[in-house]
Amino acid sequence: MKKKTIEQVVQDGVKFVAQFLPKATYLYFPLLSAALVWAIKRNKEWKEKIFSWKVWADPSPVRVKSDKYILSFFKKNNDLCRAYTKEIEDKDLISLRKAFLSLYPILGLEDPFLSALFYQELEAKHYRKIVKEFKGRVAKAIQDIEAVGEKPGFVEGLKSVAKEMASLSSDMITQTSVQKALAEIIKREIMEKND
Amino acid sequence: MTKNDNKRARKVHFLWLLLIIFLHSCVSHLNDAKLYYVQAQEFSRSYKTEKAIASYKKSLEEAEKEAAKQPSSQAFMLKGLIELNLNQWEEAEKSFLAAFSYGFEKGQEWAEWISLFGLASSLQKMGLESSAFQIYEHLIDKSKLRPITVLSAQKYADVALQKALHEEGKERERLLSGLLRIVEKLSRQDLSCGYYHYLHSQVLSHQGEYRRSFEEAVMAKELGLPSEEILRDNDLQIVFCFEKLKEELPSAQWESFQTLYQKWIERWNWSDLKIPSWKKR
Repeated sequence: MKKKTIEQVVQDGVKFVAQFLPKATYLYFPLLSAALVWAIKRNKEWKEKIFSWKVWADPSPVRVKSDKYILSFFKKNNDLCRAYTKEIEDKDLISLRKAFLSLYPILGLEDPFLSALFYQELEAKHYRKIVKEFKGRVAKAIQDIEAVGEKPGFVEGLKSVAKEMASLSSDMITQTSVQKALAEIIKREIMEKND
Repeated sequence: MTKNDNKRARKVHFLWLLLIIFLHSCVSHLNDAKLYYVQAQEFSRSYKTEKAIASYKKSLEEAEKEAAKQPSSQAFMLKGLIELNLNQWEEAEKSFLAAFSYGFEKGQEWAEWISLFGLASSLQKMGLESSAFQIYEHLIDKSKLRPITVLSAQKYADVALQKALHEEGKERERLLSGLLRIVEKLSRQDLSCGYYHYLHSQVLSHQGEYRRSFEEAVMAKELGLPSEEILRDNDLQIVFCFEKLKEELPSAQWESFQTLYQKWIERWNWSDLKIPSWKKR
């Protein structure tokens, strides 16, 4: 039997997710990407990790970090430092802390789901847009996924897709390479689907 | 032996067999519940959360069967403990009260702690933070039920740090010192709880005590933390302390610290001084 390519497996994955979330195309990439990242890194704990964003979106340990920690977070990332120059210079901790709540789970803790959900903004370095839209988009994603999360076959199916992708992508060992490779394929797939 | 005697003997044997099967099934529900519970705790300790939850659920099924067939203090106590691990607060409270009614002396006290924790969480959600804060403080001091103590400590520290962040200067220092005393006490009482060391490290960091904050974060990492998010935050705290100490320490002390730091990151397989193993490059 001819071995499937990663493109074919991702195509199958998109088809699978589309059965459950036909209208929420914006979730295909975050879901498949998060599933693949965890399938590669922590095979045994994949399910918890795929849905870990549910917990990570709750910023309880994040919202009480010290002022110096927050300043350091913005200062040591050059792009962030550029985007928030004025707030850093003014030591405007109120604004920086507000932005930190959205940006730290993505750029600091590297939640695979959230970083895929805001992939385009991250690529374009539109950090303020992430902060502005974070609450609304995460709430919408939670709502959409919760509606299908308990449906029979969804989680198991996602697991199979992720495992198959993981078996074909052993060379993509970092989150960045996984996301880059997937983003292109899924974008193409969604465009074709929409056509 | 007549034919009738044979028939009667077979009937008696059959009844005995039924009784043995019945008794065995009663014993095995409780035993199975215990076995799954132990299994769940082992999974939980090794961060296999998904498997741990599955085992707790199986354990709960067996405990429920046992409690229905042969209600006892032991069956309800076990049921309550499982429900506690599955965050089913109201059910756990009922189970401990039932265990108390069957003779488990601590049942009522445990149920009260759970009830108080539930009340504090509700008060906090409704915006009555100071009332919730007092209850969390009470539970940290009194509760002997570890999950309730840990959760109360988490909520208490969260509120206390928020309060401290709203203040400046001496008032902030005073609030942080108060929180530090509580966290230190918790760490001493339960040295093996990684989460208390994590909290300890966070408070010390707020106070600018980076060397001690680093040490507590290392202990937290070594002892284990309850979630991936906290584990990663703790790793980033370690890196932050490293950076701050680099700025602050005199060169001789810095060199000695750097040697120590190097040993730790080798142990954790970090690819770089500031890049934990999970971090993308």
